[in-house]
Amino acid sequence: MPFPKIDELVKLFSVDVSERARVLASRYGFRDYMVERYYMMFGDWDVVEELLKSFDRGLNKVVRCNTLKVSNCGYLVERLSRLGFTLRSVGWCGYAFEVLSEGFVSLGATHEFLAGMYYVHRGLATLLPPIILSPKPSDRVLDLAAGVGGKTTHLSQIMGGSGVVVAVDVDRVKVRALRSNLERLGVYNVVVVRMDGRLVPEVFGEGFFSKVLLDAPCTGEGIIQVDRSRRFKTDVVDLVRASQLQYELLMTALRSVCSGGYVLYSTCSIAPEEGEFVVDLVLNDFDGVEVADIPKIVDFYSGITEFGRSRFSDDLRRCVRTYPHVHGMEGFFICLLRKL
Amino acid sequence: MPLKEALKCFSCFEVSRLCGRVLSELRSVFDVDVTELLSPYSELLFCSGLFTEVYLVSSELLGVVDVLRRSGRVPYCVGVYVGRFRGREPYLIPSTMLANTVFSRLGRYVSTVVVSDDGLKPFLYGRDILKTSVVKVYPKLRRNGIVFVVGSDGYVYGVGISLVDDLMIKDLRSNDVVVKNVFDVGWYLRGGTKPKEKKFKV
Repeated sequence: MPFPKIDELVKLFSVDVSERARVLASRYGFRDYMVERYYMMFGDWDVVEELLKSFDRGLNKVVRCNTLKVSNCGYLVERLSRLGFTLRSVGWCGYAFEVLSEGFVSLGATHEFLAGMYYVHRGLATLLPPIILSPKPSDRVLDLAAGVGGKTTHLSQIMGGSGVVVAVDVDRVKVRALRSNLERLGVYNVVVVRMDGRLVPEVFGEGFFSKVLLDAPCTGEGIIQVDRSRRFKTDVVDLVRASQLQYELLMTALRSVCSGGYVLYSTCSIAPEEGEFVVDLVLNDFDGVEVADIPKIVDFYSGITEFGRSRFSDDLRRCVRTYPHVHGMEGFFICLLRKL
Repeated sequence: MPLKEALKCFSCFEVSRLCGRVLSELRSVFDVDVTELLSPYSELLFCSGLFTEVYLVSSELLGVVDVLRRSGRVPYCVGVYVGRFRGREPYLIPSTMLANTVFSRLGRYVSTVVVSDDGLKPFLYGRDILKTSVVKVYPKLRRNGIVFVVGSDGYVYGVGISLVDDLMIKDLRSNDVVVKNVFDVGWYLRGGTKPKEKKFKV
């Protein structure tokens, strides 16, 4: 089944906005259709208001100690503490530290940063996709929308610098930053390719990779804390375009992975149109794929199976969600798929 | 402005003369067979556009590069970035990534000056290293040869050209330049990636 027509999806994704949603949208500076959709997700206006408030609170940055270069992360913490940073270790990731207060210099300008001792993540949730995919040193991994390389370098770190990671992105500026991050962090099991990710199966052939990470380009409805403009810059048509690209990339990811291999799909968005909707379409359109269980790293919320006029497969309950007002991190949708 | 050339990648087998020169430069700088030391990253790969860059790759990575090449594509970068090849001596400017990796495997430094924190700060803004900032020297320094700049924490922060040799350094005055800055890791922050990489990579 081809991806639905844009007009049909705009109609499907559009919502009737209630007076309550209009009031809250105006109070918190959001587009009213977004607020109405949050009510459709939670069914409780108090929870919606909590979510809107949480987008005002900001996020603690996270320092990922680069174990490829630093054998004792305590040494890094000690050095950053001397520079005035207050760090708190992350219980579920032994080499990550939340930054509770900034130091005398910016985190991106310390000697420790320049020497490649750490990578700065904008929040905790970005650590989750590579940890859940958990590649082994024997894997051949594809990072399909690598961006500046936060997840590429994390994947490589989990693999202990062995195996192969192919990092693909089409954006010239991002690829340049990705390269400098690889050099700075001393990551050398990576091949960087600047190309449209959708061409990967034509270039590498079908089933070339054992694991694929697709942190898809999205509207960013889960990271409004770090980019306030996302409260009002996307409309329903943008949402439709994002889901179309995500669908195409996820189909590509599944073609690129071998039988028995895993695809981790994630978006930094809480919009079901970019999460469950996309995965549900792919489950219908791609023969031989199942949703796999995700280990309970944090107290995740399950994927949703009903949203407005849409009903999704029950299997999508195995996908997980994080919310800023519940988990104190970015809003993320994560789904692990296994190709049969 | 030079014309933009297509980027092409070659293995040692295809550019054996160039390969020999790079291997000899590496041996001269590090005093060790780098390809053996960094095994399995033992295969040299040359990628040429406006500049010639050299990488060390494992056979696994080379396999991926070969698949790319068969479809008429080349990697943007791959494996251990060895450095940039140039037309005059020193023929190879090694990367800090290579130096960090070699020193960590070797367990010692060569062709290195260790600098004080006070000297490291201006170096990371593109300045040269003065005699007064040099805390320790690991031989051998050769006049107009490659030298690595290491901080007191043991990390490599840059690469330079030595203006003196081992014996001359003690005769310098405190404000004399010992190392001319060629590349320092502060470059990543100074926005250097934009104009330089534009010419550097397609």
